[in-house]
Amino acid sequence: MEKKASFFRRSGVQTIIASIVCALLGIFVGFLILLAMNPSHAAEGMGAILRNFFKYDQSSTTLMYYFGSTLVKAVPLILCSEAILFAYKAGLFNIGVAGQYTVGLLASLYTAIALGWSWWLCVLAAIAAGALWGFISGFFKAMFNVNEVIAGIMMNWIGLYLTNIVLGSKKVMDQSTSKTYNILSKNPKALLPSFLSDVFGHNQYMTIALPITILVAIIILIVLNKTTFGYELKATGHNRDAATYAGMNATRNVILTLVISGAIAGFAASMFYLTGIEQYTLSSSVPGMGFNGIAVAFLGGLHPIGAIIAGLFIEYLTMGGQYLDTNYFNPQVADLMVAIIIYLCGFVLFFKHLMNKGKAKALTNVNDETNKPDSTTTEDKEV
Amino acid sequence: MDKDDYVIEMLHIRKEFPGIVANDDITLQLKRGEIHALLGENGAGKSTLMSVLFGLYTPEKGVIKKNGKEVKIKNPNDATDLGIGMVHQHFMLVDIFTVLDNIILGAEPNKFGFLTKADARKRVMELSEKYNLKVDPDAKIEDITVGMQQRVEILKMLYRDNEVLIFDEPTAVLTPQEIDELMKIMKELAAEGKSILFITHKLNEIKEVADRCSILRKGKYIGTVDVKDATKEELSSLMVGHSVSLKVAKEDAKPTKEILNIKNLCVRSKLHNKDAVHNVSFNVRAGEIVCIAGIDGNGQTELVGGLTGLENISGGQILLDGEDITKKSIRYKNTHGISHVPEDRHKHGLVLDYSLEDNMVLQRYYEPKFSKAGILKRNEIRSYSDRLAQQFDVRSGEGAKTIVRSMSGGNQQKAIVAREMDRDHKLLIAVQPTRGLDVGAIEYIHKAIVNERDQGSAILLVSLELDEVMNLSDRILVMYEGEIVGEVDPKTTTLQELGLYMSGAKRDAGKEA
Amino acid sequence: MILLIQYTLIFAAVLILVALGGMFSERSGIINLGLEGIMVFGGMAGAMVMVLLPSDASKATIIILTLIAASAAGMISSLFIAVACINFKADQTLIGTALNMLATAAATVIVKAFNTARSDGTDFSAKLDYVKGHKAFLLHIGELEISWFIILAVVLLVCAIVFFYKTKFALRLRACGEHPQAADSVGINVYAMRYAGVLLSGFFGGLGGIIYIAAANSTWHFDYGVAGAGFLALAVMIFGQWKPERIALSAVLFAVFRSLSNVNGGIDFLAKLHIPGTIYNMFPYIVSLIVLALTSKNSRAPKAEGIPYDKGAR
Repeated sequence: MEKKASFFRRSGVQTIIASIVCALLGIFVGFLILLAMNPSHAAEGMGAILRNFFKYDQSSTTLMYYFGSTLVKAVPLILCSEAILFAYKAGLFNIGVAGQYTVGLLASLYTAIALGWSWWLCVLAAIAAGALWGFISGFFKAMFNVNEVIAGIMMNWIGLYLTNIVLGSKKVMDQSTSKTYNILSKNPKALLPSFLSDVFGHNQYMTIALPITILVAIIILIVLNKTTFGYELKATGHNRDAATYAGMNATRNVILTLVISGAIAGFAASMFYLTGIEQYTLSSSVPGMGFNGIAVAFLGGLHPIGAIIAGLFIEYLTMGGQYLDTNYFNPQVADLMVAIIIYLCGFVLFFKHLMNKGKAKALTNVNDETNKPDSTTTEDKEV
Repeated sequence: MDKDDYVIEMLHIRKEFPGIVANDDITLQLKRGEIHALLGENGAGKSTLMSVLFGLYTPEKGVIKKNGKEVKIKNPNDATDLGIGMVHQHFMLVDIFTVLDNIILGAEPNKFGFLTKADARKRVMELSEKYNLKVDPDAKIEDITVGMQQRVEILKMLYRDNEVLIFDEPTAVLTPQEIDELMKIMKELAAEGKSILFITHKLNEIKEVADRCSILRKGKYIGTVDVKDATKEELSSLMVGHSVSLKVAKEDAKPTKEILNIKNLCVRSKLHNKDAVHNVSFNVRAGEIVCIAGIDGNGQTELVGGLTGLENISGGQILLDGEDITKKSIRYKNTHGISHVPEDRHKHGLVLDYSLEDNMVLQRYYEPKFSKAGILKRNEIRSYSDRLAQQFDVRSGEGAKTIVRSMSGGNQQKAIVAREMDRDHKLLIAVQPTRGLDVGAIEYIHKAIVNERDQGSAILLVSLELDEVMNLSDRILVMYEGEIVGEVDPKTTTLQELGLYMSGAKRDAGKEA
Repeated sequence: MILLIQYTLIFAAVLILVALGGMFSERSGIINLGLEGIMVFGGMAGAMVMVLLPSDASKATIIILTLIAASAAGMISSLFIAVACINFKADQTLIGTALNMLATAAATVIVKAFNTARSDGTDFSAKLDYVKGHKAFLLHIGELEISWFIILAVVLLVCAIVFFYKTKFALRLRACGEHPQAADSVGINVYAMRYAGVLLSGFFGGLGGIIYIAAANSTWHFDYGVAGAGFLALAVMIFGQWKPERIALSAVLFAVFRSLSNVNGGIDFLAKLHIPGTIYNMFPYIVSLIVLALTSKNSRAPKAEGIPYDKGAR
């Protein structure tokens, strides 16, 4: 009995429970929305979203093909969330991931289509572009004390318009369809090498992006937990005063964190667009990938591996929208569910607090000490 | 004065916090028109008692009476309705508001919601004239001196027609001239019929203004005396008590060469526009414990901040073993011989959400011993942490991987002490190393510090606990208002004498203000 | 040139109102990053009212009902922030971002459902047309075509300035964003004041939203949101140092840059430079970044903003 109790008190377990509660609540609210829109078909609609590509279960090839497509589309989402959680661990809210992702796609598509580079050079270009965008935010934060959220948002829009200008040119964009040229037709050597595409129903978009994403998650996990650099970043994120006391350099760390976070975001874009699965169309709003990444990062408990699971879940939901019967519903209901789940992530602390209620008096004790330093001088405080 | 005309009576008040009884059966009776001092050391329970009266805390036991009738005070609004006002130790003023706006806030004169400041201004100016509290109603709080800010706080109470005025350590942040002025104002207010509760541990001030004085010690009520019948020495011994519980067995110090030498150190204050540390010079030799004694807020924090690099130095020089380290970075100081047990273990000393082992290498994680090519040597860190924990008896639920936040305060502090003592150092700076700890932990840390000294370290101890100061140190420097006002030998001095230095009543020759 | 003035006035009106909304919220101590989302909700509600009103509705009816719907929708959506950030002490950045995403997704879903229902399943778009409503707000003064929206913004600006500096309520609100403990110690309910601040931001944000979509357009695609106008308003607010009169001035400055992107072709000397139109789109953001860099060191944000107030923790 006692062992069980301590299991539920473990922080990691609580995070997982809180995330599952968020996800279930989000789905439930989504169901209520479907009910409100069309009561007689709500259950059927929810079924379609949740059943998703499993509706092709009679043919394993088709099923695997669509499973593969979900994986391909989950890759940039997962990488964006890795970028966000990396910065968050160091105490920075990098909302600029959306823009860093955008310039990443700009760099990868431009180098692939207009310059005809090889895929790995295109990837490097995307990483550099994202890193540069992150650097600018970090520079403004560290040098001029501009809030990284505001700076990130401004950089998002600048990045978007820059991308529209560059990719809108004749060299990159097919003016008749208003889409960037297909990489396959223009410069096939810019496409990422394929990976296990036979397993996934000959899905030609299955590339090395998938294993690399898992690799990146593992690397981030290692960097955060095993290296001196990660040690320093997390210490700064948890307690800046203690980091200063220990002699760490906060200014340098702020810039470096955002550069790396931006590099990951730029990388995310290249891992998606260089599969050739989608072409860029001129957009009047910043691609939502970076923002969805925030949802995934928080839903995944801010853990690099948790982000992979959460990313697959969110992508699964989003794709689920497309299985809705458009006579009754529209696919954006799934986006709405995702947004609700993010909103609910704000309550994770509260959920955890509920779980801890009545628990560990020692903890309250410690907190009281922080709040009332004046009363701690008495000698018999600890009993 | 009618003998039994009590305006406020607090009877048998008991207030507990988890693990501590802050007020244990305390009775305080305030007569109409008197200035009543509440005397006690840090942590004696004075502030808690006043917070109960002002409605910030609800007591577990006891009753409060106003004019003989029992009242319930659940929040500051109730207190205000009963005519009780308080000047908080940390002023409750909005920096960017004008003086006038701060005074009327919460009791704004208005017509249909629109402020009618003209009436308020007239009223404030009348009060200001009547009680000689000079203020500029249109100045912003951030632009005026601390003394003037305090006058604003007093006007806030007068504006609300409060008749019971609580002053929580009002002189802690004032200059001597401002203190004189405040004393005069308090006397005038009492003469007008206001009743004043005056929290302090400065004996001079009590002798100067108070009619009666109640003394608290370690959460208990010691007694109430008429100030005119008591000497400063008597008050001091009542405050500190005679029970010196902890004796540390130690040999006489055998100091050798000079390790730390500070010359004319100055550190600007963040609270007010003057030096928090002013022209401080002293030295510490290897093999001795030098203690900075003094009442909280007299510049000790800033002095240590300047030494370690957490605060910017505005003047002076610091020599460590002959090397000028005045302008060196924190990391340089960390790695060149300074160990530091910080005052606030939660703010500076620990990353609470890190494990014990990670905290054990907070300044050393990058050293070759604990990392190779940027990768932490987890096994090394684990065994190092285990060794330290065993050596210093740091107890934790899950060993080295215990999250420090879940450990008790005593074990957290032991972990810091272990880490700092084990690092290579010539100088150990320990600031209130036993703050908030139980007797066992205190004894342990005291022994460790003495042991450290005998190994040849120079030790600078900063403490607010007189027992600790007397027991542990080889030399005592007393700090008062940012300056060292005296040096005494713990073997020959008395608590009373120390109390006089700490309250500013006595200064060494050549150190007069 | 007249076109430039017209656009500038419209964008200035939007930025002034939304930035004032952000100001009230931050002055009470809550950072409102969800202004963008609030604008979407306000705009959507206003647009739907314009679409739904019968074709013979009088101009005054259209104007009044549209404004009421927009401001009410803004206030209701702002409650998402108030509940999470004040009662549950959630991360204010996360919640603001979530509200923005929620708003775009919800508006798309709602407008699509609305269109589907009205068209008997032939129109699935997220677009609303409100030509008649748009025209109801137009007002011609000589050659200049202005909108009632602009007059509304000016009136509200004056009201906000008077309210901000002259009322008891605003004095208390401002105290809560600077030093909530001090406010509490003189008997002010900090939670209630913060709710008021966030609701005010909802009111202004909702109005800003309807102006943004209806003052210069007669149709709007709701899957696009409001293209960062809410975030620009935040920059305007910071540049305006959280003071209404300075916000008005900086809004006009930003509005000039913003409208250049709409009308650069119509201005001779700009047209001769042959700069692509999208470059002008970037201007306001680049300018605000630079402006923020120059002002952030000395800028005085409300001291307690972003910090949840906990009555227990003293």
